[in-house]
Amino acid sequence: MKKMKKEKMDILLSQYVDGVLSEKDAQQVESLLAMDAFARQQVADLKNLKYLLGSQPKLNPDSGLWTRFAIAMDEQKEEEHNLLPFPRKYLPAVTLMVSALILVMGTLVIQNRMQFLQFLSTKSQAVREAYHSKILQSSLLPLFSKVDKERALQFSLFGTLQLDEKSETALRVDEQSEKGYRIEVGNNLKRKTKSVTFDRFVAEVKPSAAQKKIIDSLLELTGRRIESSVLIGENNTMAIAPDLPKLNRIMVTNIASCLEPLQRVNFERLLEANNAPYTVTAKSMPVGQTGNHFQRIPKFPQDDRFVIITPDTMMYSQIHIDFDSLRRQMEENFVAAEIRREVIMKKFRAREFRRLPRNMHFPSPDQIFNGEEFFSVEINVPGEEENQQQMHVVVQPRFRKHMLAPEMSGHSTQMRIGKDTASADTTP
Amino acid sequence: MAIPMPGADWQSENEPVWIGVRARSFVPSFPRTNNANPMTNDEALPKPSVEVLRKMDDEALITAFQSGDRDVYRFLVERYQERIRNLLYSIFHDRDFIDDLAQEVFIKAFQALPHFRFEASFYTWLYRIAVNKSRDELRKKKSRRFFSFQTLDEGIEKELNIRLSVPPEDRDIKELVAMGLQTLPEKFRTAVILKDIEGLAYEEIAEVMQCELGTVKSRISRARAMLRKALKPLMEEVHS
Repeated sequence: MKKMKKEKMDILLSQYVDGVLSEKDAQQVESLLAMDAFARQQVADLKNLKYLLGSQPKLNPDSGLWTRFAIAMDEQKEEEHNLLPFPRKYLPAVTLMVSALILVMGTLVIQNRMQFLQFLSTKSQAVREAYHSKILQSSLLPLFSKVDKERALQFSLFGTLQLDEKSETALRVDEQSEKGYRIEVGNNLKRKTKSVTFDRFVAEVKPSAAQKKIIDSLLELTGRRIESSVLIGENNTMAIAPDLPKLNRIMVTNIASCLEPLQRVNFERLLEANNAPYTVTAKSMPVGQTGNHFQRIPKFPQDDRFVIITPDTMMYSQIHIDFDSLRRQMEENFVAAEIRREVIMKKFRAREFRRLPRNMHFPSPDQIFNGEEFFSVEINVPGEEENQQQMHVVVQPRFRKHMLAPEMSGHSTQMRIGKDTASADTTP
Repeated sequence: MAIPMPGADWQSENEPVWIGVRARSFVPSFPRTNNANPMTNDEALPKPSVEVLRKMDDEALITAFQSGDRDVYRFLVERYQERIRNLLYSIFHDRDFIDDLAQEVFIKAFQALPHFRFEASFYTWLYRIAVNKSRDELRKKKSRRFFSFQTLDEGIEKELNIRLSVPPEDRDIKELVAMGLQTLPEKFRTAVILKDIEGLAYEEIAEVMQCELGTVKSRISRARAMLRKALKPLMEEVHS
């Protein structure tokens, strides 16, 4: 309190010395000064101090200040001029434009970023959904997986392939029908299926080590082609590569092509003994040039084109499937996929195929045939024979040699899927 | 635009000085001629003489400056350089230092003058720039001495005490007062300098220092008390 009072008094005395107090305040201070010697001393000191401060020496005018200022300004201007690639007066406009540009670009980047993130998120979600809901949950699964050398040989020689050892379901393609190839997937095919093991093939045909290597790689490739050719899905849907029946003939041709004439005879004997659908006719195969006349094994399905068979319809559809990824997923989730596939196949077996109307619109010239426990699809593939006749090794359907007559312009593919394939031999 | 050097005869220059539409008090004082301004299609005005320009008040010169005649700034510098230099000298008491600082103050004012709004008098505005500049410099000095063994104030106080201890006849009173000022903190020092050396009114000081009037009164009072204490031997001598 005392300190506050002293401070107030100091301010008052200071103002008194400056002569800025009101008349009333000045009179109060003078009354105080009359009574208080200390206050008088203070005022005297303040007056002396004010005098001393006021009499401080003044500097002479600096005649060089303007010159230095002018030089400094010129230097500054020059510096600014050098720094700016445009007149300084445009600086605010340029700054505004650059700011606007940055703002626009920033906005665009942010917008694009959002879109990009959204795109990535959508794609990622789609991929996850595809793998989880379609593949891992087996709504889309290859019917055949892990087609090994034995199974590939089976298919190559006889056009038949069991789903697995236990299953009664098997695939069969042949060219018995006058209308062309036939693919059957049925329960009792196992009984009809001939079986030639690779060891027996080697024992009968006696290929050299080099030939064995070639045949091994051919069979491996065949296995992979089969895996990617037949897919099953939910809702009793099946997707089949329409070119699959070609694989049987191509493989017989290729195996025969890498054999020497004597071995080829043995190979033909093996095929004949097991009632294989194709017979080999050597035309002018030069000795010692085995393996140079392979038929290229195409990618199945060609152009990602599948025949999609549903209970009511059949259509062509282009489906791009990354089979490498699918295969990896299958390997990682093999057991789950096997179980899922078994469930779907049970549905297929339990399914009652209803006869599809003949006049139903399908892509011409293909047709779908529907029995009580099966359905089959006929797909014409014209112009195949011309290539065959140019080959050194001609492979013909064993029981349909007349089909290779010149008047035949092409052949068709028939797929037949059903429980009882006894009726399958009877082509509609 | 080149700034004319001291001694240049402005009247001899062929280029006329164009006074823009914002010219206020001094515009009517110039007789108009029939020469048309080729750029603005405005009537040309004769170039005022150096003497006339020197006699122009601050507002007229600033208006001319803001109208595009940057050369008139020279007269503002001439008018106020002494006061600014003395203010800075009182604050820093360093002759070499204040010359550069004064130059910087006038450069700063030159750059800011286009935006001057006549809300305050030019010289208080200029003082404010000088005070702010000196405040920045004192902060820089303080930060430079942050790690030194001795602070700036301590050093000056020691020096002042040594000089005060000599016999009165050997004392340089003006030097002692200047040194006494250096011992004050910046805000007190500036306040008392503006009042007792520069002779500004309390209100003007409040404007320059951008603070309340009561704060100014308090600062001046406290500054004087501190100075009285610092210069006690001198005060006693003067009193006796």
